[in-house]
Amino acid sequence: MNSSSAGPSSKPRAGSSQPSDSSFKRKRGVFQKDLQHMMYGFGDDANTSWTALLSAGFLSKQSSHPLPETVALLEDIVVEYVTDLVHKAQETASKRGKLLTEDFLFLMRKDLPKLNRCTELLSMNEELKQARKAFDVDEEKLATME
Amino acid sequence: MLAEEIFHMSNSIDFLELEGKMKQSKDPFEVAFEESSPPDSPVEEIVGGQIEDEDDANVNVHPTSTPSAAPSSGTTVPPTAKSKDEDEEEEEENMDVELGKLPTSGDPHKMAKMQAILSQFTEEQMSRYESFRRSGFQKANMKKLLVSITGSQKISAPMTIVASGIAKMFVGELVETARMVMTERKETGPIRPCHIREAYRRLKLEGKVPRRSVSRLFR
Repeated sequence: MNSSSAGPSSKPRAGSSQPSDSSFKRKRGVFQKDLQHMMYGFGDDANTSWTALLSAGFLSKQSSHPLPETVALLEDIVVEYVTDLVHKAQETASKRGKLLTEDFLFLMRKDLPKLNRCTELLSMNEELKQARKAFDVDEEKLATME
Repeated sequence: MLAEEIFHMSNSIDFLELEGKMKQSKDPFEVAFEESSPPDSPVEEIVGGQIEDEDDANVNVHPTSTPSAAPSSGTTVPPTAKSKDEDEEEEEENMDVELGKLPTSGDPHKMAKMQAILSQFTEEQMSRYESFRRSGFQKANMKKLLVSITGSQKISAPMTIVASGIAKMFVGELVETARMVMTERKETGPIRPCHIREAYRRLKLEGKVPRRSVSRLFR
């Protein structure tokens, strides 16, 4: 089993040297780095980029790393997942005409952890926005005062 | 203090879940935590996540599905990492925000527990935890993907954030289920694609994977 047969993929495989502006070609490895860290965080074996650090003596660890075919498969699965998710959200949003975050939340209604996580992320985003606004206002005041 | 706050915020996204916003969905990790740690160490760090507009590796995901014994495997443990210098430097760009109040300060009980757990981490556990909290999908990449799926150019920032969060949790479910599959088959080492496929199949059966009502014809 070679790595190119990993998982369901809805788009033709574009070489990574091709430009990514076309929306129909999907670059391989778009999420590769992120996925590697994520997989390590969730329980896979030690990460390639970490082993370098580790071998430098920061931490003592095993030297295995997530297999590239596993990462590729995960990426395919995640992209398909997000695609299906968005399509389903668009179905609910079609009456409204616009796609809103509420559509995602509606889709997640059965999955409590995800739902809570989403609401948490959104509320935190709001808070940060407020905080940033307040900060900007203060900065302006300082600037004008000087 | 600003820097610290931001850093902590960005690394404690998951904390909120454990602290109380997830009370209704008490998942195995939470249970494991409560059992394993004495309930008394205020985690002042936990400010609850932040969703920055930068590509920040911390759209966090709380491990949802599998009850993979958290104590034994030092794997997915949500408590916040203490401020490490390297992390603070990475968070520099996010430090222009002034924080009003810390959202999670309302539950010192949970924070205490978290702190207790955190303090007992081995180095490996800590690094894994840090990876867990800091990892996330790049907002730019996710936005590109969303744009290509919807065909519309206007994807709001919160939508990217939500999508990244959901995707990260999904990855978590997959990896954890794959680990479970591995223990069932008594295999060790890195996770292999066959495990992921089996995990994916199981998640499909559980209904956690959105299925299209019309099958995809031309892949």
